[in-house]
Amino acid sequence: MLESWQKLVDGVKEGRIISLAKCITRVENREPGWKDAMKAICAEAGTPRVIGITGPPGAGKSTLTGKIASCFSAKGLQVGIIAIDPSSPFSGGALLGDRLRMSEAFSDSNIYIRSMATRGALGGLCQAARDVARIMDAFGKDIIIIETVGVGQDEIEVVKAADLVAVVSVPGQGDGVQAIKAGIMEIADIFVVNKADREDADVVVADIEGMLNMTCERSGPTPSVIKTTALENEGINDLVELMTQLLDDQHQDRQRDELRVKDELLLFIEREISRHVTEVFGNSGVLERAVQDILSRNSNLYSVVDTLLPGVENAISKECAKEYYS
Amino acid sequence: MSTEKTIRALIAKPGLDGHERGAKVVAYGLRDAGFEVIYTGLRQKPDDIATTAVHEDVDVVGLSVLSGAHLSLTRRVIAKLNELGAEDILVVLGGVIPDSDRAELKEMGVSGVFTAGTPISNIVEHIEQNISASGV
Amino acid sequence: MSTNDEVRKAKVAWEETLVAPRVKKYKLEESPTRFYTPADRKNFDFLTKVGFPGEFPFTAGNEPFAFFQLNARKAALSGYRTSGASPVGSVGKYSGFGTPGDTRDYHFNCQKEGQMGGPNVAFDLATQCGYDSDSDFAEGEVGRVGMALDTLEDFEILYEAFDGDLNIDRTPSAYTINAPAVVVIAMYVALAEKRGVPLEKLRGTPQNDILKEFVGRGTYIFPPKPSIRLFRDILTFSTEHMPKMNITSIGGYHMREAGASRAQDLAFSLANGHCYIQAGVDAGLHVDQFAPMITFNGFGGSMELYQEVAFQRAARRMWARMLKEEFGAKLKKSMLIRQSLAAHIGCSSTTLQRPINNHTRAVVGGIAGGMCGGMPNVFPPYDEPLGLGHSNEGMQMQIDATRILLHEVKLGEVSDPWAGSYFMEALTDEIEAEAQAELDKIEKLGGTLAAIESGYMSRAIAKNAYEKQKKIETQEEFIVGVNCFTGDNEIEVGVSSTVKPPYDPELMKTAEERQKVNLAKVKARRDSNAVTSALAALRVSAKDESVNVMPDVIACVKAYATLQEICDVFRDEFGVAEPFRV
Repeated sequence: MLESWQKLVDGVKEGRIISLAKCITRVENREPGWKDAMKAICAEAGTPRVIGITGPPGAGKSTLTGKIASCFSAKGLQVGIIAIDPSSPFSGGALLGDRLRMSEAFSDSNIYIRSMATRGALGGLCQAARDVARIMDAFGKDIIIIETVGVGQDEIEVVKAADLVAVVSVPGQGDGVQAIKAGIMEIADIFVVNKADREDADVVVADIEGMLNMTCERSGPTPSVIKTTALENEGINDLVELMTQLLDDQHQDRQRDELRVKDELLLFIEREISRHVTEVFGNSGVLERAVQDILSRNSNLYSVVDTLLPGVENAISKECAKEYYS
Repeated sequence: MSTEKTIRALIAKPGLDGHERGAKVVAYGLRDAGFEVIYTGLRQKPDDIATTAVHEDVDVVGLSVLSGAHLSLTRRVIAKLNELGAEDILVVLGGVIPDSDRAELKEMGVSGVFTAGTPISNIVEHIEQNISASGV
Repeated sequence: MSTNDEVRKAKVAWEETLVAPRVKKYKLEESPTRFYTPADRKNFDFLTKVGFPGEFPFTAGNEPFAFFQLNARKAALSGYRTSGASPVGSVGKYSGFGTPGDTRDYHFNCQKEGQMGGPNVAFDLATQCGYDSDSDFAEGEVGRVGMALDTLEDFEILYEAFDGDLNIDRTPSAYTINAPAVVVIAMYVALAEKRGVPLEKLRGTPQNDILKEFVGRGTYIFPPKPSIRLFRDILTFSTEHMPKMNITSIGGYHMREAGASRAQDLAFSLANGHCYIQAGVDAGLHVDQFAPMITFNGFGGSMELYQEVAFQRAARRMWARMLKEEFGAKLKKSMLIRQSLAAHIGCSSTTLQRPINNHTRAVVGGIAGGMCGGMPNVFPPYDEPLGLGHSNEGMQMQIDATRILLHEVKLGEVSDPWAGSYFMEALTDEIEAEAQAELDKIEKLGGTLAAIESGYMSRAIAKNAYEKQKKIETQEEFIVGVNCFTGDNEIEVGVSSTVKPPYDPELMKTAEERQKVNLAKVKARRDSNAVTSALAALRVSAKDESVNVMPDVIACVKAYATLQEICDVFRDEFGVAEPFRV
């Protein structure tokens, strides 16, 4: 591993914040040598519990995340927060304003907050966030909270990264529960109704409980619905108690862990292969040729794929694969 | 969109001045120029701005001060950045800054002062040309 | 007489035969100018849409004729300084710096020069944000943008300059204070009681417009709801005990300067005003009991003269209608927009580049002001954006320009000169409709407080500010000397006059240290038991939303509790406002 990486990783293990910060940047940027650095990071891994906070914009996720973190910190735990905001599809830039709403958490030396942009990742949650969670773990964080953007396939994605998923909704968003998309009922561990000081809070709670009763395809216990008013610090203790309890329970749930690891592994490999293929085909001019063939109707998409694919498939055939992992 | 490393910026208002227009306009502008901009809002203590800059590993800190307290506030931010070992982070300043203060600011370590009427592209260019390669 | 239909037909014909060929000839996309006809005044009924100056809906003006016009000849013959004049019984120039002693001495000096107006107090940022001069947060800010204020003693020191013939029973005051307004008003009451001045004689205006702070000026402390509770407490106390005291000075000026559009300025001002009036009504008062004491600081402005004139007309009409039709006001004074500044250009229209051009710009604002039912105040002086203070030359030019508009251009000789104009009536209606659309949006969001708390207002303003910046950078909009006409053949006309700092810079440098010493002395001298029990009593009142905190705040200031000690009680009980989503 490059010396500069080694110094950073050592700094992370020693608990130096400036190393943590710079390591995160370099891993996020996929600077050469990053995978080796991540291997060293994983060697230091503890058992971090990762909590995913998701839900539509305006639900108060940032404020809630800050309060939850402060509560865990008060119990003596080290907390890392990853606050994710969307990158502009036009400029690639982003306005990261979540930590603005976590001032109490910021002043707490047990809590480290990092703002990240999605950088074009589909679904709003990036592989990089999972890498960063590992780095925070190596640094010594016990609890890592990932606060997602709350649009697209976020809610589904974040399940793959988290031990525990809390979906936040808020009264007054018109059709309350419809704001929680299809598929959420099956995956959330906790439903939080924030800004519960508002009038129709109980209506939203009833709606969610109603929908949960109707949903049958669930393994495990029925999720709880908790009311909070994050700005007033109400309901936070109960929520964190529940989270702590669920995290302990899940510690026993090996099946869930297996599912998660398998998912991340396949996704990672898929992405790496895809990247590699694009690079190789792109650099050798094969891609351009194929595109022209399709456009000029010399060939078509399906024929081109059939031509290109066997080479790739051969490399990943069962026979070869056995060799790779023996 | 450039394939180079994404520039991370922190825009902050130290002290008690509450006029956010310029800071927000610059934040939006930098975002539209492809930067990742962390906006920390009003009433930031200078030490906290420096700490946030280090935690978020930003390449540049942009301060906005319209109350006249820019010399003392900027000095504090830069001192804390140095104390934390983050001398490589660029510092730029905007707001109501009399010309006569520019020399002292430069000496302090401020790389650019951008007052009202400055096109955002000037700020972007200045930052892109002056940020250091990432250190260890 | 031609009917609207005939006019419309004729216009179409004109467009086809004259306009279109010319547009084509010069290869334009459309005509660069518009022309208005009677057909453009939709549903125009003079009496309901305009009416007469001094009559509902006050579109044409608040009074049949204004003071400045009736006194115009006298003023010219006597050499009256129309701005910064301050005779006894008026409020002086906005001022304040350093320690209260420094500001007091400044007033003594002004009085030597014949400026007899009451204190129009600028407070430093520490005070505006509810911090004492010895607080960590106050470092570097004490006495800088205004006077430091920590205890009643500071207030008493300031008012040493307003005693005897200038005592507060005849000298009004103004306070640019918002979040901790209860404390400052309590000090005013305490001072009056100490001096044996009956509260009914007190006059003055606290800015006390907390809602605009959240979206345009940034010196808020507590969250919106408890801030309105404090507003209500001031309102009811003032209405009962200080009937001559204005309750608040509201308006969109700061919001427009923060980047709000014209429609947002008007809509948000109306929405904020609505919220304040509702607070009074909810407290059990009839609107006419307190609405007459609601004043306006002013709205925002711009270089677009026509639109700013139309804005003022629409604002007067909408406010009057809201007070009468929604709140049931019967008194004329309840329905008026009482403001010291009519249409103007807004300080954000001035440029650092070629600053003398700002004088030209300010004159345009004065013309707009004079044409919309106000005094043709030329504002600001040209050196405003340089951040060094206003030079005497700048202020002289400012005053002379106003005089020229009054006495040479004779702008005040006609009330609402644009009334009935096809263009101006259409434009007034348009601005009213845009503002109404914004108000409807706010209504849908759940009202003013919801619109503020959700961050809607501040985001809308920031977005508009950014759009404006982009238009300037892409030259979709022009600012002379900034993004156009900046070539080598232009002369960068500069400013060479030295501006004498309005306040002694040596005093400014040492103000923080001196004030901290003063504060320590007060803290040592006072009866700390009395302070503790006063603060405890305040805490009990603060907890109960139905209780008016004013009496307890007054007791606290009398015991020489500090501004921050009082605000800290409120911080504990109300919490502090969280920043809004960007």
